[in-house]
Amino acid sequence: MASSFANIILILSIFFSFLSNLFFFKKKIKLSIYSFNLSSILVIISFLLLIFYFSSSNFSISAVYENSHTLKPFFYKLSGTWGNHEGSLLLFILIIGLYGTLFSLIYQKDIKFKSWVIFFQNNIYLIFLAFLIVKSNPFDLIIPMPKEGLGLNPILQDPLLVVHPPFLYLGYVGFSLTLSLVLAALVTKQLDDAWAKISWPWVMTSWVFLTIGISLGSIWAYYELGWGGYWFWDPVENASLMPWLAGTALIHSLLVLKIKNKMQNWTALLAILTFSLSLLGTFLVRSGILNSVHAFANDPDRGVFILIIIFFITTGSLLIHILYSSVTPNKKILFFSKENFLNINNLFLLFFLFIILLGTIYPIILSAIGETISIGPDYYNTILAPFIFIFLIAMTIGPILKWSQNIGLKELYFLIIIFFVALIISFLIIIFSKRNELMLYLGIASSLLLIFTILIEFHKNRHKVQIINFSRLCSHLGVGVFILSVFLNSYFSKTKDFEIQIGETKKFDNLSLNLVDQNILKINNYFEMRTDFEILNNNKIFILNPSIRRYFQPDQITSETSIKPTLLSNHYLAINFPDLNSKVIGARYYYNFFIHGIWFGLILIIFGGILSVFKKRI
Amino acid sequence: MNNNVKKRLYFFLVSIITVLIIGKFIYDSLKINSVYFFSPSDLVSITEIPNGKIRVGGMVKNKSLKKKGNQYSFIVTDFKNEILVYYKGIKPNLFEEGQGAVVEGKLNTRTNFVATKILAKHDENYMPKEVADALKKTGNWKNNYGK
Repeated sequence: MASSFANIILILSIFFSFLSNLFFFKKKIKLSIYSFNLSSILVIISFLLLIFYFSSSNFSISAVYENSHTLKPFFYKLSGTWGNHEGSLLLFILIIGLYGTLFSLIYQKDIKFKSWVIFFQNNIYLIFLAFLIVKSNPFDLIIPMPKEGLGLNPILQDPLLVVHPPFLYLGYVGFSLTLSLVLAALVTKQLDDAWAKISWPWVMTSWVFLTIGISLGSIWAYYELGWGGYWFWDPVENASLMPWLAGTALIHSLLVLKIKNKMQNWTALLAILTFSLSLLGTFLVRSGILNSVHAFANDPDRGVFILIIIFFITTGSLLIHILYSSVTPNKKILFFSKENFLNINNLFLLFFLFIILLGTIYPIILSAIGETISIGPDYYNTILAPFIFIFLIAMTIGPILKWSQNIGLKELYFLIIIFFVALIISFLIIIFSKRNELMLYLGIASSLLLIFTILIEFHKNRHKVQIINFSRLCSHLGVGVFILSVFLNSYFSKTKDFEIQIGETKKFDNLSLNLVDQNILKINNYFEMRTDFEILNNNKIFILNPSIRRYFQPDQITSETSIKPTLLSNHYLAINFPDLNSKVIGARYYYNFFIHGIWFGLILIIFGGILSVFKKRI
Repeated sequence: MNNNVKKRLYFFLVSIITVLIIGKFIYDSLKINSVYFFSPSDLVSITEIPNGKIRVGGMVKNKSLKKKGNQYSFIVTDFKNEILVYYKGIKPNLFEEGQGAVVEGKLNTRTNFVATKILAKHDENYMPKEVADALKKTGNWKNNYGK
């Protein structure tokens, strides 16, 4: 009953999506847009239904049976809706539809252009809807209805992970609208500055959501996985970083297009690249080709389907680009002009992207010839670090420059002074910290250079609020703070593994850890072993309570970390399940230096992005 | 040759050299940081013993896990050949006898391995892909593994 009702709604939605195409070809533009919107509303209804089935534990629905359990807290029953392959694909489709529908409601100027945008959006939507219905229907019926579900992976039962996937999807999938906007502009021959102004808020919205999504994932990994870090260069993380880098390149080239009406074709290509990488990310993550907590589906067929979809959308878009793009006159660009530094920004971002893409797919390619390898994090760190310095210096110079002019003497002097100040301060930091490492020195110097330049710009323009570009300053300041913190964190953090029993005290450096107590509690759907550690650091005492949980369904163990934030650092403690016939507990202590700076940098980047979505001027 | 062509030629040369240098840099880094995976049977059959960091995977043999001080030892098997693994450190939560495991470290001999890292898995359904493939090769894969 429940299953067939939901299936009828899905069939209706794909029917209206077809109808929208039909109307479009018959030149009934308005009807075409209406049927697309109707279809996207139907998908929203089916998603709400799925949420309802999850919250009421209706195990006759396959997706609910496979991913839920009556003992699970209500909140996580809800989030189970998108904590699985089928449900998350439905959310994916919902968001494609949502972006299209919102665009059709908000944009009212050029009806012909609008209908093309909706046409392309509808076809991306249609492909995925067909994939869902044929290959991954969440509403498959199970007869007879099972009494109990299989449960959701406990590691996913976390408040941050409830919001991480929707944000990530709002980002990834938002770039589908960017692609539709580009394709529509190519076909109607209006890929110009006016078009860039229309597209700007939509591209920025997706970018902001993607940034938030990645950040949430990173924060989650930090406190939930218990490995002390926030980024592991895991292929799955790379899968989300690649579209972010392409998207960041895109917004910078879109800026040139918006203001100088240059770089049309390049912008179009970047838009195609960004969405293709979003899809590639979805493929890598969902196909089961990578071992990861994200790989829900281990059905190779699905992977093949997603690959075909990527191939189809990418080649289709490129074909439209080849057929419709007009040759723009080659305008001369001066080296020390703003445009050129935005070009340089693009080249760097694409270079980073290339390095990460290579590291991510190289093992997959090698596995085809029978060799199994994995790429360690040092690959990324050693290659990216030196280029990050140059990138930051370019990022300092670029925004000071003027459009279409060479650098002025005033700017040059300004830069030289800042440059020396940054060098001296980093030199002092190195001397006082007694760390004599070139990489650390360069990292601190280049990020301080960027931070100082921006702070001075803030200060100079503090009375001219209307002309100051807050969004750029904020995001760039965020990047400076972020990179600075990453370097400080990686060079000044400490970690120690140890084994301990009740009553025992362990000492290292100026820190002593004392395991005072441990007890076992039964909560909802798990047992928890809680420990009380008393920690003495520089004459200050605080308590940390890392714990370990054993979930019943599925039977699984997770560690819950305990973190004590101080002004400059985090004390971070995680414990392991004790050996069966001993009282010894294994524990990992991390001293994470300047980790707040990393989160603060991310917040600034995101905040700048949000400001630019709503920015009214040019 | 006129000036413009000369300029372009220089530009071309400089670009080629830059690309080659960066390419070499990337290639080296990729090589240094690639960690190869072997099953216990692979290690018996290969001609040259790898001396860098490698990964070995298989099932942890039942009743082979022992502890002496803070050093663990256990046997990883693909049911055809096996290897004795030493590991100093904290045992990950999801590491148990009779389960699949991947360890990273260095070979002493073909049947003796010092691990610096045990790769923890994410959940109870998960069987390392490399291990599954290795077991399929020796014909010892059962469908209930990893279920």
